[in-house]
Parts: sequence; C-alpha cells; structure tokens
Amino acid sequence: MDLQIVMDASVVALRILLPIYAMVIVYQCYKSMRHHRRAEKPLLTLEDVFTGQKYPVVFWENSIGRSKRSDICIQNETVSRDHSVLLRREDGWFITDTKSKAGTYVNGKKTRGRVKVMIDDEISVGSTTLAVRRGSEYSEEIKPSWYFSKAKTKPSIKQYKLMILITVFHLLMALAACFSNEIQDFRPLVVWGFLTALGWTFFFVSTVILKRVNFELEALGFFLTGLGIMLLVRQVERQAYTQMITAAMGMVLFMFLIKFIENPDRVKKYRTIIMIGAVAFLAINLVFGKIQHGAANWISIGSFTIQPSEFVKIAFIFVGAATLDQLQTSKNLLEYIIFSAVCVGALAIMGDFGTGLIFFVTFLFIAFMRSGDFKTIILAVTAAVFAGAMVLKFKPYIADRFVSWGHVWEYAQTNAYQQARVLTYTASGGLFGVGVGNGCLKYVFASENDLVFGLVAEEMGIIVAVICAIAIGGLVLYSRAITTRSRSTFYSISACCAAGLLLFQMALNIFGATDILPLTGVTLPFISLGGSSMISCWGLLAFIKAADERTYAMRRK
Amino acid sequence: MKRTWTRSILVYIVALAFFAGLATFCARLVLNNEAWVQQPYNGHTAGSGGLAMAGKIYDRNGTVLAYTEDGERKYHDDYLTRCSLLHVVGDNSLNISTAIQSLYRTQLTGFNYIWGLGMPESLKQGNDINLTIDADINRAAQEAMGDQEGAVVVYNYKTGELLCSVSNKTYDPADPPEITEENEEEYDGVYLDHAISSEYTPGSVFKLVTTAAALEYIDDIKEQTFHCSGSVEILGNDVNCHSVHGDISFEEALSQSCNVAFAEITLQVGAEHMQEVAEKMGFNSNFLISDVPTAVSHYDVTEADDNQLAWSGIGQYTDLANPMQMAIICGAIANGGQPVIPYLVEESSSIFDQLGLSSGGGELGDRMMPEEVAKELGSMMRYTVETHYGDSTFAGLPACAKSGTAEVGEGEPNAWIVGYIDSEEYPLAFAVVVEHGGWGLSTTSPIIDATLEAAILSLDADAQ
Repeated sequence: MDLQIVMDASVVALRILLPIYAMVIVYQCYKSMRHHRRAEKPLLTLEDVFTGQKYPVVFWENSIGRSKRSDICIQNETVSRDHSVLLRREDGWFITDTKSKAGTYVNGKKTRGRVKVMIDDEISVGSTTLAVRRGSEYSEEIKPSWYFSKAKTKPSIKQYKLMILITVFHLLMALAACFSNEIQDFRPLVVWGFLTALGWTFFFVSTVILKRVNFELEALGFFLTGLGIMLLVRQVERQAYTQMITAAMGMVLFMFLIKFIENPDRVKKYRTIIMIGAVAFLAINLVFGKIQHGAANWISIGSFTIQPSEFVKIAFIFVGAATLDQLQTSKNLLEYIIFSAVCVGALAIMGDFGTGLIFFVTFLFIAFMRSGDFKTIILAVTAAVFAGAMVLKFKPYIADRFVSWGHVWEYAQTNAYQQARVLTYTASGGLFGVGVGNGCLKYVFASENDLVFGLVAEEMGIIVAVICAIAIGGLVLYSRAITTRSRSTFYSISACCAAGLLLFQMALNIFGATDILPLTGVTLPFISLGGSSMISCWGLLAFIKAADERTYAMRRK
Repeated sequence: MKRTWTRSILVYIVALAFFAGLATFCARLVLNNEAWVQQPYNGHTAGSGGLAMAGKIYDRNGTVLAYTEDGERKYHDDYLTRCSLLHVVGDNSLNISTAIQSLYRTQLTGFNYIWGLGMPESLKQGNDINLTIDADINRAAQEAMGDQEGAVVVYNYKTGELLCSVSNKTYDPADPPEITEENEEEYDGVYLDHAISSEYTPGSVFKLVTTAAALEYIDDIKEQTFHCSGSVEILGNDVNCHSVHGDISFEEALSQSCNVAFAEITLQVGAEHMQEVAEKMGFNSNFLISDVPTAVSHYDVTEADDNQLAWSGIGQYTDLANPMQMAIICGAIANGGQPVIPYLVEESSSIFDQLGLSSGGGELGDRMMPEEVAKELGSMMRYTVETHYGDSTFAGLPACAKSGTAEVGEGEPNAWIVGYIDSEEYPLAFAVVVEHGGWGLSTTSPIIDATLEAAILSLDADAQ
C-alpha cells in the first residue's frame, strides 16, 4: 500500500514537472533564436558626392526613392518615389532601376536590369549622385529594433543541449504512458526510441552534413511533433508510427525547400510552373476526390490518402512572395488574386470551408504585405462575407453548427457533441492533466486531429496546451521581428505569411473545438494526426527558417 | 524592407487577436470548470468509478447514508431507508440531478480545478458531507407513503434544518433499475425529486393564502357571515362546494373548507391583492434549498374573470404549488410571518469545502405576511385541527394545519396536508402531497402521523 502511494506520488510529481519543463523548452528555443546575431551595423554607406550627406545601408534589400517610407530616402524632386533597389546577394551588391522616370546610372552609365556595384562606384538617381563606401565609414549609432537590442553574438544554448532537453521531455511522456491507468507495458518506450532516432538524425544531417549552426526552429517543430506522437501511443499506436514517417518526410521537404529557395532570384522562374501545378493538383482532387466527413478534399493513391490542399498551401505562399525589386516593378496583384480565387473556389466546391478560409486569410496577409493597400483588403473581406452568407444558405450542415454556437450544453448530444466533450475533458484535466493515456476524449471521434487541443489539455493539462499554442503563435512574432534582417523581402513576406497561416489554422482548430468560433475540421499544426498536414507544416516552417539570415550564412564557415 | 516590416502589422494584429481569444477561453475555463466537469457523460466521474474515492454522506445523527468501500459505492443497510433517501442522496449515476451525489459530486470526490479529475486514487482526498436529514424520519415517511406517489417534507421552522424529504416514485440506489422503453412508464418521473422539483394543484391548502389576504385587506372579515347552499353561480358558471354549509363564519369557513365562502372572500379581496399576497408567499418565484432551486410555483389572476378569480382563491384555476414552498409558508406562519429557509447541507469544517459548497443555513427569507396576520391565521389553523382533524392525526402534537383535495383534470384528486406544530420542543413545519390520493385528510393523515411520530423520537433523542 505504501509503495502504491510512493508510485502514485511520483506519477503526480511527473505530471507537475512536465508543464514547467515544456515552458523551459519553448523559452530556450525562442531565446536561442534571438541570440547568435550580428550587431546592428551598416553594410554599406552611400555618400552624396555634392552635399557629403551619408546614408547607412542596413538591409539586404534597400529601396531608394523620394518617398518617406523608402529605406534610403533622398529628398530631391528629380528622384522618383520608388526609384531603384540596392540589393545584396551572395556575389556582391547590385542596383536595379524600378521604372523610375529619370533612370539610374552607375559611373555615368545608364543601368538596364541588375547592375553590379563596387566600392567607390557612383550611383546617380535623378540629379543626386551617391558614392558607395564601406559600412564602417558611417560613424553614427544605429538603434536596433527591440528584438535585437540585447542580441549577443554567442548562442544562448548549445543546440545539442536543446535536443537533449526535448528528448528527455519525450522520454518522460513515454514513461507516463507506460504507467497509464488502463494498459501498462513498455511499448511507448519503443515509440520513443524511434522518435528520438528520427530527431537526432535530423539534427545530425542539419549540423554535420549541412553545417548549419542553428537548430532552434527545427527543435521547436520536433518538440511539438513528438508531443503529438507520444499522445498517440495510447490512442492508436500504429498511427504514431505513420505520423513519424510523415514527420520524416516533412523534415526532408523542409531541407529541400530551404535549398530550393536559396536564391530568391532564381525561384522566380518556377513561379508559373508551381502556380499551374497547384491548380492542376486541386483539379485532380476535384475530379478524383473522395468524400470523407463532409468534404471531398482527399485523393487516394494506392493505400495512401493525401490531401492536396495541404501541399497547395506551400505553393500559395511561394507564389505570393517576391523580392523587393520585383515588388517595385510589378505592383499588379491581379495574377495573384486570380490564383487565390481559383484555390479558394476549388476548396469551396470540395466543401472544405475551413481550409478555404485559411487560404483566404493568407491571401489577405500576402496581398497586404505586397501592396500595403487597405482598400484591396476591405474589398476582399466584403466579398468573402457575401460568399460566406451564400455558403450558409446552400450548405445547411454548416449553418447547423452556427445554431449551436454558444449553446454547447443545449446541443451536447447533437450538433455540439464534440465541443461539449472538449470543454468537459479540458476542465477535467486541470492544470497538470490526467496523465498521458488516461484521457477520455480519445474515445471521441476526431479527437486526434480536430479536437487535439482538448486531448492535450486533458492528458497533459491546460498549461502544456497553452504553451503549445504560444509556441506556434510565437512564430508570428518571431517572423515579424526578423523581417528586416532577412536576405530578401521574398523571405520576410513568405515567413510572416507562413507563420500567419499556421497561426490562423491553429486559431480555427482551437477556437472551433472550444466553441469560441463555430468552425471545425482543420488540424492543429504539428500536433494533430494527419500526414499531409504534418508534411505541409514542416514545409511552411522552412519559409520561416529561410527568413533567418543565419540559415544561409553560417554554413560556409 | 522597412515597408515590408510595417505591412506585417496585419499578421501581427491577427496574432494578438488569437492570444486574446486564448485568454478568453482560459478565463471561461477558470470560471466554469465545475459546470463543465459535471456532465453525465464525463468518463472520469460517471458510474461507480467516479465515486470510487468519494467521501461519506452522514445524516444529522451521524448515520452513514453513503460511503465507499474498496472502490465501490455503498448505501445505508436498510432497504426502505435507501429508497426513502434516493432523491436526497442520489445514486451512482448523475440521473437525479438535484441529489447530493450529483450536485456535489466534485466536492465529494475532492475536485478542484488545479488537480483536475486525474489524481491517483490513493492520493485523492474525498470530502465528507453532513446532511440535516434524519434517516429514521425519512424511513417512517417512506413506509407510510408505501407505493403512493407524492412527497413528504418536514423541517424545523426555527433552525431551517430539513429533517425529512421523501419523493415517490423511488428505487433502491444500491440496485438501480435499468430503464428501457418497456418499463419507462413504470418509472415515469422517478428521477424527479417531487418535494423540490414538482408542482401540484394546491386545492384547499391554498385557502391559507386567501385567508391571509382576507385578514390583511378586509377589515371586518371576522364579523362577516357567508351562506353556502352547496354552490354559487358566478358569471354563469357554478363554483361547487363539497357540502351544504348554510350560514357560516369566516373561521368555520376555513376549518370546514367551504368553497362557496372562499369564492366570496376571494372576490372581496380582489385580483390585485390576491396576486400581491400570493407572490409575497413565494408564488411565481422559487427558493434555494442549499444549492437546489425549488420549482417555480404559479398564481396568476391578472387576466382572470370573476369566476376564475373565485376558483383561484380555492386553489384551482391555474394555481400550482410546490410541497417545499407550502412547508415554508407554514413555517412562516409559525414564525410570525417570516420564514427560515430550509437547508440540507450542514456547515462544513474543512476550508476546501467552503470554497465551492454552500453549506449551513438558518437564513431568514423575506417576510410573507404581517405578524398579526400570521398570528390570526395560526390560531384559525389550530381551530381547524381542534374541531375537525384532531391532534391524534399529528401524533398527539398541538398541530395547526390545513388539508386539501385538489381536483386535477383526470383521475382522483391530489391529497394534501400542510401545517406546523405550535411547540417549542417540536418546531416542525410540514407538507404532504399524494398524487391522485383521493380525499385530502383521510389519505394524508396516516402519513403525517407516522412521520411526526418518528420526528418526536428523533427530537427527544436530540434533547437528551
């Protein structure tokens, strides 16, 4: 009997430990992202040869123009508002004229296309001539943004230590699962073994073969992925292995994408192909789609079923992003609007309104980041509200969900069956959860994907559930903080929008399951069971990784 | 690139909105977790397993009514006692939603949100609950009720302790029936605590309300004489009396329960004052007994014509009363017009209990009638017992009471008796209702007699 109490006490102690531990891991991941950064110093200095005024060049891509919001603002009537773009690439500095009236000259020669500039070259925009000097010639202090204000040049934690922390966390989850109420065996440890092998292989490839110094973003993704997999062990063990295989595929895609978009200028060539490919993929889905749970968003290849819309998400971001000189030369959004409308329309026909909404919101993010035009956004939202009203009219089962919205307990056995269970079991979990494998929500349909937030909250407690949400939501704050430190607007736009997409998808998942919003049917990034979703999450994470200027730089050392 | 940064504000705003939504959810969780947990389908609490580490439930004498042994929920040894307490204590399921084991399940099992429902059994600390109920009185009332459907309520009108609460139909919580489509008629309404959650046509017991209204609003009511010829025609329709009383005084009208006289009195009081007095006595509202609200009783003559008003004054028309409420009215009369609201759960010593559990009682309710009215009404009820029912109906105690035979649409009328004991030693207020029981007094008197007999034994034992 005494032994029983000791055992039980240690089980409870473990449960209390896990949330604190999860907090430490997420904190360390984000802390590490902030550190190991170069100091805020100008990369070049531009010196007005007539007035001697010095302009610091601090970004990888800099707009030169009369507009106050230009990165290098030259107050001279002969300079166009968005005159040209000075950008840095692997092989040096270049200048591109962006349809200015007066043109851009280097050493007196009119530029056409991208022209390389060297130190002491003279760039003429309108009647202003700027000499290119070294960054060190700019003596004034530049105030860094808050995110980099305390950045150190050393990493805050050795990356392998971060991985050890995460591995031990997963081990503790596995141990908790071993001593679950219903089944006691050591199978969870086997799953943990494979999971750990996967994680460390990924780490090895990244640091040793690809020679990347930083691994914190990948570590964060691995932490969340592993958490989802360990929760699956006592639910459908076989699925835990499936999930692991798709996670591995996701990691491969992650590495491939980073390599693929290494040169932001070269990817432009693939833009049209990818756009056509994405539309074709959705078209195949429309023709051969299989209806599952009210939406025909699946196609089967042999024994596999895949969800094309998940992969199109990556294409959607890819097509939307562009480098600064591309942005300034082609301000027309029409092509992208049509592409978006086709994607959202296809999803609506399939009946996958959750994903359709995600695409629409991502479209808003991208359209606004490209154009900065509020009118377009308002117009698009108005159109969407009308479309939404039509959907409610013609798809009564969606309207049903609206009826029970906010009245979960009245519809606890009918329309709001799942939401009622999520709330009950979330509350039953308390702060620290009932223990891995001891939940009751796992017997409810879709608990491992649509309702997974409730599953995490029930088995591991609300603290861990909220930490997971913060970990994913934090990607937006991170992506925004590093916007100006990216190597191109292509990366910063794609990172912000990919993070925004993940965040919005998570919002739909969590708020749908907890009756804050009347929607269900999308997955919680990284944690939900779902192969296509898992792969696409890792693909989207690649955009955020690529926006980090260290990603491509460090590996040369 | 500065522009790109500025424009990322949209994503940033959406992120802030998300965190706001997450905070909203967490706030809802903190505020409502108990309500969310207490759902009949909750796998962590449903069934005997949910009560595996629950605390004990005691009656006022320390008798254990429910306890857990080796992970199994057990109830009082005596079959009849178990049946009589079903609606107070509850069973393993959450079907009887007003019972202690449903309503206070989270407290019994030691739920608090910090730990959730996942604590290992050996570390769970269930809380005990002490009730004001007396198992012996309850058993006696149950035995006297037999198979008759209805409710018995007895409470101490000085302290508010609820001593006896029986609701029929019932079943044995140690061996709950499986209710299927075939036998659902047999168990119709079995999950309802009739003492608290049901309402019945009051019939003549409503005359107490009419009498109180007359005493308050008709100055010469005691000097008036009424004439009963067996019925009276009002607006072309008869109001019938069960007998021909001839010339009859106000006091005799109550003791003989003359409908013709009371029809007249009601019309004299008038709809407005009838409505006001009835509502002061708790009609159209309810009372909280520990955490359980009584069923909302009904009295509405705002749209009634004179015939309907007359019927309403003798407890017919659309009138509905709840047994607990009738006992409270009698308690108020005994207390000089202001009732002590009954309660079921004794004050708990543990600080944890006090966080979520409303326990203890003895609170005064709103005044129901002026003190003089209460006094007059009490002596008229006493007169009724002395001249008609006899103290022997009430185990020899000096009772003040009123019986009622309420006509209901179909079948036999509902039988009622309500009243109180005018005694320092036995300050008891009571209400008994038997559905389709027939004649009020003859049906209810064996029940109230047996119940009070047991109450005397219990209170005598307390006094020693």
